[in-house]
Amino acid sequence: NLHLITPGSRLLKSYRGGHVVIRFALGGCTNRPFYRIVAAHSKRARDGKYLEQLGCLDPLPNAHGEKVAGLNLERLRHWLGCGAQLSRPAEKLLGLAGFLPLHPMTITNAERLRRRRRPAQESVVPPAEGGSQEPGAPV
Amino acid sequence: MAPGGCLLLALLLLAGTVQGQHWSHGWYPGGKRDISAPQAVPAWSPWLVPCRGRKSRHDPPAKSKASRLKVPPPVDPAELCVVTERYRQHRLVLGALRSIFRSEVVQRKHEAQKDAEDSAAVLEEHRLLMAWNDAENARQRARREERIRKEKEEQKMQKLQAMENKAKVMEAFLKEKEKEVLQLQEEAKTFITPENLEARIEECLDNPRNYNFAIDKEGRIVKRTALS
Repeated sequence: NLHLITPGSRLLKSYRGGHVVIRFALGGCTNRPFYRIVAAHSKRARDGKYLEQLGCLDPLPNAHGEKVAGLNLERLRHWLGCGAQLSRPAEKLLGLAGFLPLHPMTITNAERLRRRRRPAQESVVPPAEGGSQEPGAPV
Repeated sequence: MAPGGCLLLALLLLAGTVQGQHWSHGWYPGGKRDISAPQAVPAWSPWLVPCRGRKSRHDPPAKSKASRLKVPPPVDPAELCVVTERYRQHRLVLGALRSIFRSEVVQRKHEAQKDAEDSAAVLEEHRLLMAWNDAENARQRARREERIRKEKEEQKMQKLQAMENKAKVMEAFLKEKEKEVLQLQEEAKTFITPENLEARIEECLDNPRNYNFAIDKEGRIVKRTALS
């Protein structure tokens, strides 16, 4: 029968090159994002077919002000052992989770934020204390 | 006056919107004042509400950005050194972690393989299969050797037979030739040679023979006619 095409040929896509990456796949609705942490080929669409789901991340804080994420560390170890790359936000998330060391830019941005906040604090604090005390050494 | 003024306005508007170009429709060739451009749909109309269109890479930059000076983001050198060092450390640690995970995966694979291979039942089955295989091989070898031996014997027999046949044929041939030779020798005794030519002629003349006779089917002479 000439019209009988093997069912497997349409379901298996093969790419040239490419590698496995662990990255975020966006889901959810309008103004309500939701990320799935996913191991997929780098050449697949962002939300397309993936190899395995390794966790999820809710970027919007919940009622207690927390951003909740779930991770499957066992499978993460397996995929990293198989040679999967990480996307930058995935690296940062894993650094914050403690599975990997903290990303340099996380530390750098925190330092920058602190530096920016300290003059604002100092400018706020001295006028409040300068009236009551003598101006002491800067904190 | 008012209706006349409205008519004038309408005419002016119509004239103004005929050759308008908009970047979201693509720029027509020939420039803005090209009169031969086709009368396209006007850019704005009540039933074509425009959405927030984006420029493609082929559209020219806006006039408000003509004086824009592109400047790279400012970099603090001390911070850059610190950040570079942090990245190096981070990559070292990541590489080490990856090698640990890799070794774990390899170890797990080996363990799974061993579990599949080293179970006693599998080994026993393997041994039995190998024994059966060896038995089959031996049997086939025996049959093969038997066959070869038989073939060799047959060939020998055939050779012998052929030689015998040849010998026989040669013998028969020789015999035939011998017989012929003997016959010829016998016949040679009755040949007419120059020596006994005269004697033979005399003999024939002395004994006239009558060849005028008829024979029947059995070969007996039936009729004779006398010599004239």
